Amino acid sequence: MIPEYLIRAFLASIMVSVLLGMLSPLINTKGLAFLTHALFHSLLFGAVLGMILALLFENMALVTLTALLVTLVVVLLIACLEKRGFSSDSAVGIVASFVAGLIVLGFGVLYSVMADRPYFPLSENIVSYLTGDIFLITISNLEALAVGGVLLFFLMLALYRDFLYLSFDPEGMESYGGNTTAYLMVLYAIVGAIGALIVQTVGLITLQVVAILPGAIALMVSNDLRKVLGVSLFVTLTVQLSSVALAYFTNIPPSGLATIALGIIYGALLIRR
Amino acid sequence: MKAVVAENLTILYDGKPALERVSFSLDEGETLLLLGPNGAGKTSLLKTISCFHGEYTGRVEVFGREPCEARELIGYVPQSHSLNERVPLTALEVVAMGAIYRRGFVHFKIPRETMERAEKALEFVGLGGLGERLFSQLSGGQKQRLLLARALISDPKLLLLDEPLSALDPSARAEVAGVLSKIKSRKGLTMVITTHDINPLLDIGDRVMLINKRLIAFGRPEEVLTDDVIKSVYGPLARVIPVGGKLFCITGDVHLHRHGGGGR
Repeated sequence: MIPEYLIRAFLASIMVSVLLGMLSPLINTKGLAFLTHALFHSLLFGAVLGMILALLFENMALVTLTALLVTLVVVLLIACLEKRGFSSDSAVGIVASFVAGLIVLGFGVLYSVMADRPYFPLSENIVSYLTGDIFLITISNLEALAVGGVLLFFLMLALYRDFLYLSFDPEGMESYGGNTTAYLMVLYAIVGAIGALIVQTVGLITLQVVAILPGAIALMVSNDLRKVLGVSLFVTLTVQLSSVALAYFTNIPPSGLATIALGIIYGALLIRR
Repeated sequence: MKAVVAENLTILYDGKPALERVSFSLDEGETLLLLGPNGAGKTSLLKTISCFHGEYTGRVEVFGREPCEARELIGYVPQSHSLNERVPLTALEVVAMGAIYRRGFVHFKIPRETMERAEKALEFVGLGGLGERLFSQLSGGQKQRLLLARALISDPKLLLLDEPLSALDPSARAEVAGVLSKIKSRKGLTMVITTHDINPLLDIGDRVMLINKRLIAFGRPEEVLTDDVIKSVYGPLARVIPVGGKLFCITGDVHLHRHGGGGR
């Protein structure tokens, strides 16, 4: 008999894999690794802010919602700076440094708010944001992941070709009538929203690795788009599912196992080259 | 009708001039060869005409409109090596890109009619049968011709080409020059071409403009391409040599190969 929490973990892994498998090649081709790093840190600030609000209003749902909103605001800020002529790296760097400072401030405020409120569930929550805890996924988490995941998947699928063109030649795209700013903002928003949706299952510390390496591996293996997507999905799915299964038997956090496995695959391919 | 008019045009970057007080006009169907050393302002002029750069004083018009209002009339052809080859796009998909952004925001599937037009455009530039090949697998000359096909599929009236011959070997330069000649003779488009090597393009150039932060010379090739003018930009070793009724410029980046077409 398979425990119910393990089934929930497998289902969450499948959803996470489909989203990351699709997104990862885009992050690699568009060169969004630095932006991804900044966005995923803004998730932590959003989560801390959400925990403060959750404590004040006694509503745990505010954690994920605030994390998502903060990430989207950060996305808009970065896009606005880019629109004003800052290079992508400069815009990300400026916003990320503010976010880093706000995280530290946020923790200070969180601790003072926690001091006179019951905080045990929240301390567990912050840990699950950092390392991910797929075995703590609840049915309502799974439902949110399914609904949000399906929406993001189809949005990404519908605009996939446009995102590829945006990565290939943004100047050309604009000269032929494409609104590059709008596409860029939608892409950034998708990256942020996927991060917010899956951060509790994957963990903030390892999120960037599992968002980047599957695409990097797929682009090393093939340069045919269908194969790239297929390999990226296959790698993510295999690594996520096997790390959950392995974690069940070894009690090692699955996000750590997945990250190490992806690193080994990528390293092996690099050496083989 | 005048295709491009610039009057007292000064192009600025952060308030500092990159190109000063340039005036010229180009008739519809004419080809302008834009010549000048690195940093002379060639790309700045091209980007201003194509609405990619908006910081300027003076007047510039494309078919009687402000550059940004005439965007659908302009086909911009960048240097092929400025594109991101990691993106796995086929030749047909790259060409189709020139046609699909006229309408809609979502382009999940390229319409069949657009694909057919893309195939015809590929045939026009001599790349028929290579539609399924990846952009990254094409040679330098093929990539540049592919980008010409992408510009053509958008039905432009003005083609702006940013150094279409750069980083190409002599035979690839000849191929690209051949396609440009075909575009001129069959489609009659107005073209502005920046180049370091004017020789393969002299057969199609109606006007030559020499710039170096300012306008040095503008006119018909035989008027502009003189030893004195070329030396004033490229230094004392530069020269113009008439060979068999044709002119050849030696500017430090030279490929003395001939192409068909009448000499000047």
